[in-house]
Amino acid sequence: MRSICIDVEKRRASAEAFIPADHPLFADHFPGSPLLPGSLMLELAAQLSGPLAEEFAKTQVGIERWAILGMVRDARFLQPVFLPAHLELSAEIARADSFAIKTNVMVAVNGDRVMQAQLVMMMIETSAEWAQAIEARNNRLARWKDAS
Amino acid sequence: MSSRDTHAEVAILVRQTLALPESEPILPQQLFFYDLGFTSMDLLDLLFRLEQHFQIEIPEGTIYHLARGDLAEAQFAEDAVLTEAGRARLMKLLYDTPPELFPARIHATTLPRFCTVGAIVRLVDHKLAERTCSN
Repeated sequence: MRSICIDVEKRRASAEAFIPADHPLFADHFPGSPLLPGSLMLELAAQLSGPLAEEFAKTQVGIERWAILGMVRDARFLQPVFLPAHLELSAEIARADSFAIKTNVMVAVNGDRVMQAQLVMMMIETSAEWAQAIEARNNRLARWKDAS
Repeated sequence: MSSRDTHAEVAILVRQTLALPESEPILPQQLFFYDLGFTSMDLLDLLFRLEQHFQIEIPEGTIYHLARGDLAEAQFAEDAVLTEAGRARLMKLLYDTPPELFPARIHATTLPRFCTVGAIVRLVDHKLAERTCSN
């Protein structure tokens, strides 16, 4: 992820990501023709939906929770994404409850939609053992926001 | 829309949620959590399916508010636990759930756990009627 921009008033967020072709993850997917796995696109979309859901819950609902991907609905992988690729991601809150926030997400390459889905982020209360993970994620998120 | 039609449509959505075959009967008296083996994620999935299929909104706390009715908030629940009056209201709303399933202490967030398929059909019919009235 390179940058992220969250607008809780408008219930949406956007982000940009660059995926190199030479990452070891893609060595077998596929040799000589690296293709971005759909599961990684979903993960990137969840990394956008999570902070959006958390900030929405905090500022609009008044609760501080940690967003975890709980459900993927109606995912469509519309075109193959060959690497390297610049991805444009967007997420919009479709429904918000105190325990779960549903987002409509979309990924595009050069303006063409390559993936769409609904992600349900489960809003869980954090405990002490999550502190390190949350701090690391928050530092990462701050860098992405600074870059937007 | 008649209650019977709604039941047939809800039954299809329940089967889709649990990936059950069409031959699997879904009966009004079946309890989601006790009889059908629903998890809270299954219930959330069904909720989304109901909203999409019937074009209705079922916001968080719907069963709570239906059960509370005109009873004052403080009389219905204290610290998110149903009072005796609140418990009676819930049992009246969910009249087809066996009474012995309702514990003495019912937390407000657990109300969907006591629903039968029939109760959800009634809820959908209620929402459809609301929509008709507002049009």
